[in-house]
Amino acid sequence: MRFPSRILGGNAVFALIGAAALLTICAGAVAVITAFGNTPDSAWEKAAQAVNWYSLMVGISLAQSYLPVYLAHGQTRRRFGAQAAVAIGVFGPLLAALVTAGYLIESGIYRLIGWSQVLTRPHVFDEATQVPLVFLEYLIEFLAWLTAGAFIGSGFYRWGLGGLLTIPVAVGLVVLAEGAIGTELRLPILPHAIGVDVPQSLGTTLGVGLGTFLVGLALTWLIIRDIPVRNPKS
Amino acid sequence: MFDDRTPIYRQIADRIKADVLSEALKGDEQVMSTNQYAAFYRINPATAAKAFQQLVDEGVLYKRRGVGMFVSPDAREALRSERRKSFFAEVVDPMVAEAKTIGVPLSQVIERIRELEG
Amino acid sequence: MKIEVDDLVMRYGATTALDRLSLNLEGGKIYGLLGRNGSGKTTLLSVLAAFRRPTGGRVRIDGQPVFENARLTERISLIRDGGATVELGSAQEAVGFAEWLRPGFDGRYARSLMALFGLDPKKSVSGMSKGQRAALGVVMGLASRAPLTMFDEAYLGMDAPSRYAFYDALLSDYLANPRTIILSTHHIEEVASLFEEVVIIDKGRLVVHEESTRLLSRGTAVTGPAAQVEAFTTGLTVLNSRRLGPTTAATIYGDLDEARLAQAAAAGLELGPIPMQDLFVHLTGERR
Repeated sequence: MRFPSRILGGNAVFALIGAAALLTICAGAVAVITAFGNTPDSAWEKAAQAVNWYSLMVGISLAQSYLPVYLAHGQTRRRFGAQAAVAIGVFGPLLAALVTAGYLIESGIYRLIGWSQVLTRPHVFDEATQVPLVFLEYLIEFLAWLTAGAFIGSGFYRWGLGGLLTIPVAVGLVVLAEGAIGTELRLPILPHAIGVDVPQSLGTTLGVGLGTFLVGLALTWLIIRDIPVRNPKS
Repeated sequence: MFDDRTPIYRQIADRIKADVLSEALKGDEQVMSTNQYAAFYRINPATAAKAFQQLVDEGVLYKRRGVGMFVSPDAREALRSERRKSFFAEVVDPMVAEAKTIGVPLSQVIERIRELEG
Repeated sequence: MKIEVDDLVMRYGATTALDRLSLNLEGGKIYGLLGRNGSGKTTLLSVLAAFRRPTGGRVRIDGQPVFENARLTERISLIRDGGATVELGSAQEAVGFAEWLRPGFDGRYARSLMALFGLDPKKSVSGMSKGQRAALGVVMGLASRAPLTMFDEAYLGMDAPSRYAFYDALLSDYLANPRTIILSTHHIEEVASLFEEVVIIDKGRLVVHEESTRLLSRGTAVTGPAAQVEAFTTGLTVLNSRRLGPTTAATIYGDLDEARLAQAAAAGLELGPIPMQDLFVHLTGERR
């Protein structure tokens, strides 16, 4: 089987441009905050949350755009499923690496100016310079959001509005992953509404994170294993 | 390109026959392939092949394996004698009938024929 | 590719799109698939292309089941609605994607076809008109060079000159690279001469599967004085009869033997073939 380079290529370029744009926005925000005489907390910590939603969109587009094209070009659902899983498995680490790099850049700049990089949310890491931990946390998070997106996208492609029913399940996936990372749910829609308190040990974090990812893939496969290509509207 | 009255393959056959009669296609000369006919007339090659088969059955064309279709050496003579047989029934009789219908006196028709023979 | 369809059933909720349809195509030919709207054409083609799993029945292509069979589906192409291109990029990116996914896809041929249809390779697919998308779909189908290539109303929205360019390209590519082609269409008269065999389905069932010249020979237009036409057509299947003053033109369906032909000649009746479109209309019958 071939490596899903076509899926990854376009998305990776977009992710790099997006990361650069996000950095620029952070710099702008920090500039504004300092202009009002305040010392900012870590801006990147807040910016990194946007990447969750971006991951969700990428996941959705896998099912909505790429699945029908794969099938129309004579590929099987099995092959698409495998390629999509590989694509998520490569794209998640890529995004996590970009976010980790962003933290390092921010911490370098703050140190030059003499600010401290204050983190306002609970994390697996204490300092933004703990590269492996930062990477691990965001990896678990993005894999969950990407898979949740693929799951929702498949549901909507298959059942139209009936796909709404996939959303609670997808939220569950994300909640589980967030729970693996820390106690606070970083869901803008349901802030603090549901708390999954997982005892903090690196092993559990890793296990639950990986488990969530695999469960998400399995659930998505249940939807697409015999999914029909939609009939054209006529 | 085709009139709707006769099947396409018969029209192709008729055209090849006409070419043989007029000597545009001579004895033992190779005719275009079914594929060339198909592309030219925008028809399925099987339909073109049907026209050719009909001509082979009638002895107008013969097949050389692996080379193509050729005009039978005696095709023109055969077609001429066949046409001669039906000439009066198919050409002269309808002409006379038409002349009667529209009121052209037969003497005028005969006169015209003499003129043409010159 | 050899196609065997046995008792195929497809239901969408309460709607039955295919109703125990059986069909055998030996392959290597251009087939016309005709049927009215909602007759099940799209569903049948979707099942052949493994786009859908049928509710019941069996589909075998070259002797094997087709659903989720990668070795087969790689060799099958069904084009409808723009040929399912990624809408995130340009026409040439869509072609690149097809080249990447389909082992037999001919990218050079695709690019030459894009030029033929006046498609700008840099134009984004999502910004294309209906006709341009249809043309891109046709490009995808032809360049796939798939041993089983199917076009489901794929040229809907293409203007007449583009459609004729497509018919010419299809025929010449079929002559150069023989394969199994199935065309479903509403423009019957435009393409009828390309068909070697015709399949007509109605309400999810097979109505006719016949060699196209054979089917055409079944239909005869009988024209002449009303009394004679009436006498001649008694006992035959009359699909349609129209009268203009003393003249009647009747359409009959069925083979005419030598005796019948002689009888017609004696009665001074004019016999002629009828267009496939008329046969289709008569065979798929009543208004809905």
